[in-house]
Amino acid sequence: MVDSAPGECLSAAMRPRRALLALTATLALVLPACDTGEGVPEAGGGAAGGGEGGTLVAAISSEPDQLDPHNTTAYASFQVLENVFDTLVQPTPELEFEPALAESWETSDDQLTWTFELRDDVTWHNGRAFSAEDVVYSFTRIIDEELSNAYRFTSVVEVRAVDDDTVEFLLDQPTPNLLANVGSYKGVAVVARENVEDGSIGSQPVGTGPFRFESLTPGQGAVLSRNDEYWGGDVALGGVEYRFIPESVAALTSLRSGEVHWTDNVPPQQVQTLLDDDTLVAESVPSNDYWYIAPNHTRPPFDDERVRRALALGIDREAVTRAAQFDAATPNQTAIPQGRPFSVDYAPYERDVAEARRLLEEAGAVGTTVDLMVTSEFPETVTAAEVVAGQLAEVGLTVQPRVLGFGQWLAEQGEGSFDMFLLGWLANIDPDDYYYAQHHSTGANNFQGYSNPEVDAALDAGRQATEDAEREQFYDTAVRRIVDDVSYLYLYNPDVVQAWRPEVTGYTVHPNRAIRWRDVSLDG
Amino acid sequence: MRRFLLRRAVQAAVVLLGVAVITFSLLQLVPGDPVRIAMGTRFDPETYAALRERSGLDRPLPVQLGDYLLGAVRGDLGVSFRSGAPVTELLLQRLPATLALAAAGLLVGLLVALPLGVVSAVKQGSKTDGAATVFSQLGISIPDFWMGIMFILLFAGTLGWLPSAGYVSPLDSVTGWLSHLVLPAVTIGVVTGSILTRFVRASVLESLGQDYTRTARSKGLPESLVLRRHVLRNALIPVVTVTGLQLATLLGGVIVVEFVFAWPGLGNLVFTAVQGRDYPVVQGVVLLLAVLFLLVNLLVDLAYSALDPRISYS
Repeated sequence: MVDSAPGECLSAAMRPRRALLALTATLALVLPACDTGEGVPEAGGGAAGGGEGGTLVAAISSEPDQLDPHNTTAYASFQVLENVFDTLVQPTPELEFEPALAESWETSDDQLTWTFELRDDVTWHNGRAFSAEDVVYSFTRIIDEELSNAYRFTSVVEVRAVDDDTVEFLLDQPTPNLLANVGSYKGVAVVARENVEDGSIGSQPVGTGPFRFESLTPGQGAVLSRNDEYWGGDVALGGVEYRFIPESVAALTSLRSGEVHWTDNVPPQQVQTLLDDDTLVAESVPSNDYWYIAPNHTRPPFDDERVRRALALGIDREAVTRAAQFDAATPNQTAIPQGRPFSVDYAPYERDVAEARRLLEEAGAVGTTVDLMVTSEFPETVTAAEVVAGQLAEVGLTVQPRVLGFGQWLAEQGEGSFDMFLLGWLANIDPDDYYYAQHHSTGANNFQGYSNPEVDAALDAGRQATEDAEREQFYDTAVRRIVDDVSYLYLYNPDVVQAWRPEVTGYTVHPNRAIRWRDVSLDG
Repeated sequence: MRRFLLRRAVQAAVVLLGVAVITFSLLQLVPGDPVRIAMGTRFDPETYAALRERSGLDRPLPVQLGDYLLGAVRGDLGVSFRSGAPVTELLLQRLPATLALAAAGLLVGLLVALPLGVVSAVKQGSKTDGAATVFSQLGISIPDFWMGIMFILLFAGTLGWLPSAGYVSPLDSVTGWLSHLVLPAVTIGVVTGSILTRFVRASVLESLGQDYTRTARSKGLPESLVLRRHVLRNALIPVVTVTGLQLATLLGGVIVVEFVFAWPGLGNLVFTAVQGRDYPVVQGVVLLLAVLFLLVNLLVDLAYSALDPRISYS
């Protein structure tokens, strides 16, 4: 799940102002001599050249590890590859699936065959025509080579080309979330066989997307240029230059001074300042990630439902959210942000210390000491755990946050040796991905040991049903039970925060953190 | 001289072997297996086994260590877990930027420390001396990453004189390269310079009180000549030692400064590698830093004999 964390940056530890003044005064003497007399390079005039439409310069916080979409797990790689590759279908900003390389699709009556009709006007960046064989090759590669996304295709028996423009997925069980599995992000992109076989996909990827990959300079940046043959219509930008700037102060200063046009390297504590800044555009939208606490249902005290409910009533979500994420997250009592497909409008808990204490007394659990396992890998979990401990102390539960390295954290989670843990799930889109593995009694990630036959039945039914309206019903039932039983105690959805200069137009923030330049242009 | 160099080469080989074995072993002690961590909680045993096999982590530890050492002798430091690229290639890509930054930082440091240290020693107790002491205290006590951030805010943000971060190759534009180099080099230079200032001052003061200085003055030599020929020449030997040590420390300090300024050197590389648990890259950077450290020390020793004819290695 958490395969790429937003980079935590060094925070500027504030020192006495006098020291700063003395320092800057000293340096003001030193520096004019060092000034090269050259002005600061403006964005767009850089190495990429650009040509017609200009070059957009984007500051991202880390650099791609490699550029093979099937093998990388780094978010930085996908920030670049999002614009180079295509998937069969792709998520809209509302996280519904729209056609991409596939124009249309249908499922057989028994739900075991999915047929995708492909576009016939797609060419690879190397000039070769795209065909059904490319789709077959790509998914077969993921499955047969057991690449990191292979788990998404456990129900797929075969992928085969019916003709040049038609592909069939043959399944051994109905899989209503197949669209998410073949299109939720570029980790399941369609790749070119020759690009893989000559070994160049990791460094010179060839895609079908709106931009061609030009170059990557380690430690510095990557350059894309417009694909004039793009099947999705005209692309306005001449190119995109990514610069790798890990320090957020440097990234935001570059944005303000015009050295870059866009950045997502925004620390949570800077969000409000950016939103208030008239000289820039900034947007903050809830992501489809969520953070939660999982109590261990298999051992005391959380094997008692009353203690779990006391936990749910004893926590002030708003305070936890603010402590962990400042203004850059939205509290939620379910997993999916409100208003999105398959979200459930259900928020039964409001902090009630007296009621929580009454439940604890009834269960004979007042004064119990429990541990809350968190990891230094995600520092916000450590902050959140401290706040949670303070709140639950008022209720009568003594919480001891246990901070572990991520390796040990995962091991102890696997062994079930915890009373509670706090972590997040990233980038799910289909409700099955949000709930099945986590809450079904046979779910692969049900580390908390939750088991409710009613939930199992609803989740199984949600997997089989094909109509969205019907699926919504099942997930509504499941989610209400999950929340009532406190299988997970959902906390919040972090926001995606991105900022850009006013001359950038047509840009949309995607809740799944996909960064797409296709519809963007530069004015002036 | 040849025997001296030979002895140093043998010593260096032992040190490097030790560094390689210790780094390798320490990284094994870090809890958590990198493949498992890369997969997160979405765990699938088959994928896990495949990934472990691919990265060679399923072999016994002594075999892994043996292979690593044999490879290292041939200049093959393995491949990065993350990118699959040869570690030696990654190191060579990043080395020039780090060396340039370290050299520029040291240059700034010396340009600050030598005049400031000499003046404050010659005019001991004066206002200049006081100012130099305040400067070096500040430089030593302010963390370099914070200073870097303040420089960015002031010189790139408020004043707009210099770029905030990043790098331009000198092959593309020398002025672009220089303008990007100034802020990180000054950040390093202030820290290095403030430490060196104190050593220069102390060393010059000591030299000023020596018999040979008194003799030179009593011969009637002009003060500037006394300073240049007798005081400074003698004062430089301890300064060279400290400068050498500083250069080695500075190579470590460069890591943080490179991160702040997005400077594409070894520091930036190792920072990403540590975050991603890319052990072969971490090992490679540590080994390379050890080599550089040894080289600098050798150069310092050789510089002694150039500065002081009494020191000879023959």
